[in-house]
Amino acid sequence: MTSGRSTGAVIAALAMMFALTACGRAEEDGVGSASSVASQAPEVDTGAASGEITVWAMGAEGENLQVLADAFMADNPDVTVEVTPVPFDAAHDRIVSAIAGGEGPDVTQIGTTWMGEFAKLGGFDPTPSNIDPSLFFEGAWDTTVVDGTSYSVPWYVETRLVYYRTDLAEEGGVTEPPATWDQLKALAEGIQGAGAEFGISLQPGGTGSWQTYMPFFWQAGGEIMDAEGNFTLDGEPCVAALTYYDSFFEDGLTAPAAGDVPIEGQFANGDVGSFISGPWMIGIVTDAGADPATWTVAHQPTEEAGTSFVGGSNLGVLADSDNKEAAWAFIEYLSQPDVQVTWYETVKDLPSVQSAWDDEALSGDPLLTAFGDQLTDAKAPPAIATWEEVAAEIDAVIEQVTVGDLSPEDGCAAMQEAASGIGAG
Amino acid sequence: MAWSFALPFLLLFLVFMAVPIATALVTSFTDLRVTDIRNPLSVNFVGLENYLAVLGDARFQKAAANTAVFVLVGVPLTMALGLAVAVGLNQQIVRFRTFFRVGFYLPVVTSIVAIAVVWRLLLGTEVGLINGTLASFGIDGPGWLSDERYALWSIIAMAAWRNLGFLMVIFLAGLQTISGDLYEAAEMDGANPWQRFKGITLPLMRPTLLFGAVITGIGYVQVFEEVYVMTEGGPLNSTLSLALYAYDQFSFGNYGYTAAIAFILFLAIALLTTIQFRLFRTAT
Repeated sequence: MTSGRSTGAVIAALAMMFALTACGRAEEDGVGSASSVASQAPEVDTGAASGEITVWAMGAEGENLQVLADAFMADNPDVTVEVTPVPFDAAHDRIVSAIAGGEGPDVTQIGTTWMGEFAKLGGFDPTPSNIDPSLFFEGAWDTTVVDGTSYSVPWYVETRLVYYRTDLAEEGGVTEPPATWDQLKALAEGIQGAGAEFGISLQPGGTGSWQTYMPFFWQAGGEIMDAEGNFTLDGEPCVAALTYYDSFFEDGLTAPAAGDVPIEGQFANGDVGSFISGPWMIGIVTDAGADPATWTVAHQPTEEAGTSFVGGSNLGVLADSDNKEAAWAFIEYLSQPDVQVTWYETVKDLPSVQSAWDDEALSGDPLLTAFGDQLTDAKAPPAIATWEEVAAEIDAVIEQVTVGDLSPEDGCAAMQEAASGIGAG
Repeated sequence: MAWSFALPFLLLFLVFMAVPIATALVTSFTDLRVTDIRNPLSVNFVGLENYLAVLGDARFQKAAANTAVFVLVGVPLTMALGLAVAVGLNQQIVRFRTFFRVGFYLPVVTSIVAIAVVWRLLLGTEVGLINGTLASFGIDGPGWLSDERYALWSIIAMAAWRNLGFLMVIFLAGLQTISGDLYEAAEMDGANPWQRFKGITLPLMRPTLLFGAVITGIGYVQVFEEVYVMTEGGPLNSTLSLALYAYDQFSFGNYGYTAAIAFILFLAIALLTTIQFRLFRTAT
């Protein structure tokens, strides 16, 4: 009932209480050059790394990273790596506090959509040239680049594929993976015809639904921003994508409201025949009791493109770190293909380094290979400081179109207007 | 000498209340964002721009309307329930009185997260207890939390249930200050129970009721936890409260804007409390 949070602004603003005399911003730099090659800092001599570094990591990564840190210390006896696990919910705010206070770790894991904000804060060291961008998936590397400069290194990636029940699809007369929008629709209809309550499960708005919607927008030829840094969320691609997305709701092919039964159970027992999600669902669906012979994953459908969403985490060195040599040496180590494979085997995080995918552990698994294929055609939202706020507006419009009665045309205009009002920060 | 006794409080008040509040007030007239926190002095003063932007935002208006419904329905409902329970438990004949008192007070001291889990089980669309019961009578229950027509009312019901225990304790204390002689005299004059309640209990409880209304009102205007854990403001912003709206804006890093919302919320509370004092003012 009581809210300490709304007064949180009070505390945050404490810093600016004294001497508000010399206010006024310095001139803003122009929004980033459109050059395709991101600039990097000069090489850092990581060979002679020594001393102590602290590393923040979240969730399962935080609990298990010490395994790799120990291996790194065995190779580099002069360096001590201390891993501090941070809960994912608290991580964003803690990193902001660390940057503001100048008291933080040397290396931290960073959610890909936070990059724009942190870079704008001046909190991260530009990536040195010893890291070769061409080793990583392009979509993943793009998440490190803010205004033409790279500030971190992709650590692991995830992308979204279509999970579907092959047995129900065959019963409904669909034998091939869906290659186009029409075929994905036909797949959902076929599965529903074969007795599933819903042919597909799409998010009816709510936090993060933009991650399911945005691939359709990209597939219709849309781009979130143009080269000058202006939002281009409306127009023909948006109307096409939102109309297509909404059609699953109009035709009753997906649940009209967020349900309270987890998707994996419904998928395993055949109530829901397909959904779009990331690689973590492989394990969850299997644990829910789905027979591996009855389901598979498929590449996103292709219209003008077959693009999916790429997420994951990056690793960055804080600008205030006093041991950048050791910090970058550790990141360099974590980016080695064989270490990336070890990391996959430890916590099932998909490697961001392309050559790691040649290893038998990944290339021998057809489900993973499908994710690897999709990663070569996957995009992330632009690394801007206000992305989370823009994303929340997109989520809200998706809900108004699917659950409410807003038309896709008006929805696209609303997205564009809201995003332009927020700006790129 | 007197000042040295007051000093500990004054220092704490200055450092932890007055300075932050003043800072927030200043912040609400600037365009401070999260990207400025390394250099918070280099922001621009924007006058009343934040306040105008807040008041003109459709989502703020929706949140204000929701909060108004929550307060106007929730406060009388919670008070009526709290008073009914208190009057009931104040009867001498009630057995297991302590048991009931603990039962009604338990939600107040229970973590909102635990309560949210239980109420989700109650209100769930497909697997909820209420809809399960309705289904056994052949009725297809609505989405209590996922349908925009019902979500706010479900939250109000939950808040009333959760907070009535606190008012029950306050009202019980108030009831026990009323002398039994008055009731006895009224009974001799032939007053029935309703007349005794209307003629004795309510007037004498006026100061206690005012206290209950003010405390509950202040809490309900700032309603946050219930909607944050149950619906996150959805569906379609039908349960978005002012405090949750401020929280969202804060997490987007719009600090100047959030400070403006906080002060609008503060003014709303001051206004509500003033009205309540007028309403309950002892008739002279």
